[in-house]
Amino acid sequence: MVDWTKIRSDFPALQRKINNRSVVYLDSACMALKPKQVIEAMNEYYEKYPACAGRSIHKFGEEASNAYLAARKKFAKFLNASHPEECIWTRNATESLNIVASSVRLPKGSKIVTTSLEHHSGSLPFIERAKRDGLSVEVIKARTDGTFDIEDWKRTVDNNTSLVSVVHSSNVTGTVAPLKEIIEIAHDRGALVMSDDAQYAPHHPLDVQALDVDFSAISAHKMCGPTGMGVLYGKLEHLKSMNMFLYGGDTVRDVHFENGKIIPEYLPPPEKFEAGLQNYAGAIGAGAAAEYLLSIGMEEIEKHERTLLEIVVKRLLEMNHVHILGTDDITIKTGLVTFRVDTIPSAHDVATFLNDEFNVMVRSGWHCAGPFHYQMGIDPKKGTVRASFYLYNNMEDVNAFLEGLTKLIEISS
Amino acid sequence: MFRPRIAMPDLSENARCVLKILEAGDSLTTTEILELARTEKYSGICTDCAGGDAFVAAANQLVELKLITKKFGKGGYSWQLAKD
Repeated sequence: MVDWTKIRSDFPALQRKINNRSVVYLDSACMALKPKQVIEAMNEYYEKYPACAGRSIHKFGEEASNAYLAARKKFAKFLNASHPEECIWTRNATESLNIVASSVRLPKGSKIVTTSLEHHSGSLPFIERAKRDGLSVEVIKARTDGTFDIEDWKRTVDNNTSLVSVVHSSNVTGTVAPLKEIIEIAHDRGALVMSDDAQYAPHHPLDVQALDVDFSAISAHKMCGPTGMGVLYGKLEHLKSMNMFLYGGDTVRDVHFENGKIIPEYLPPPEKFEAGLQNYAGAIGAGAAAEYLLSIGMEEIEKHERTLLEIVVKRLLEMNHVHILGTDDITIKTGLVTFRVDTIPSAHDVATFLNDEFNVMVRSGWHCAGPFHYQMGIDPKKGTVRASFYLYNNMEDVNAFLEGLTKLIEISS
Repeated sequence: MFRPRIAMPDLSENARCVLKILEAGDSLTTTEILELARTEKYSGICTDCAGGDAFVAAANQLVELKLITKKFGKGGYSWQLAKD
């Protein structure tokens, strides 16, 4: 049995009072708060062994190398990757997606399949790759509730499809895609699958081997880790065959100088993709975040969020003037709900009011998902409001949010 | 004529754009500001307004700086330049 009150006390930011009121943080889909375990792990690097990993032979260097290596192993365990080398440190999920989009080898004239529900980072890198190499792109339209018709996938992914880029859990509707089925369809037709797990990985158990996914993109900052850190998971065989993304120090086994020519000999993954001095503190923090979440249990976290979400969705459905975007079936949702209030044209006003009057922090805007907003006929600049829940939220948070929203509707109606 | 009490270069592009738009109107709603930001007239200075969140965050910073005020009522917030 998880002691959620104790978990909450791990997060220093939640101890803050603003205008003598507690803060209600419901913006974890954008940025998760950091537990002291992650902050301490990063501080330890800066305070005790702030050196170069894998280069310097002194004691600080040795300790930094060990911590850096251990962090990768922790992250591999979090994803159930078969080798730590399959986890590449990046700046964020966006960079992970860009590395695959720009470096994976795709046959000339082949097709990339993506969806209307993608975050811009899940579609644009592939659209630009297609432009660059003369590939075609086909977009599968999500249903209005944010789910997919699996028949659309069977029809659209054909033998000419080389890659599928799909969001595992939408940052707008929270809907979880039937990834296992999509991967089976794609593999059956010889296509690779890139899964955008930025929203899925922090909230659900993720097993890349069981899914048989080819690539997965993750942001550490959404899973209690530091900002500016992400992971690209890739099957080793794919990572080995991919072109490099950046060249330079730390990517080479040797650099020869023969007959006036510089001849490089590059390292295999992960070093192949990690050029230059790395964000060691960030990697150590990301590893600590993965370890922290695993120590609680991803099934438990998923269950906790759904308990809160069930109450929120039920109440929102009962409220006049509130319209939920996407499915209200919480069994296929990550812990977030996006909605509009029809008495207030701008979602930003809803977010501003909740913040100003109730210290309730939610996100407003188009959530970097312009195509789905346009598909739903929602003017992106008016946007939608997103409340997202995580392991540190509790019923008091839910009640404060609902109280604020009730007040807002009362005043604005 | 509106005269900002802090140097304009200290303000973000978004904040400067909000100020420019409010200079032209008496009191504007959030939606009106965002709609104006996307018009030809402001296209040179307002470049980050598609989703609106960064823009409204900048407007809220201007409220903190007491350069503009906001008021909540039916239909949402209205914003205007602070009176001297």
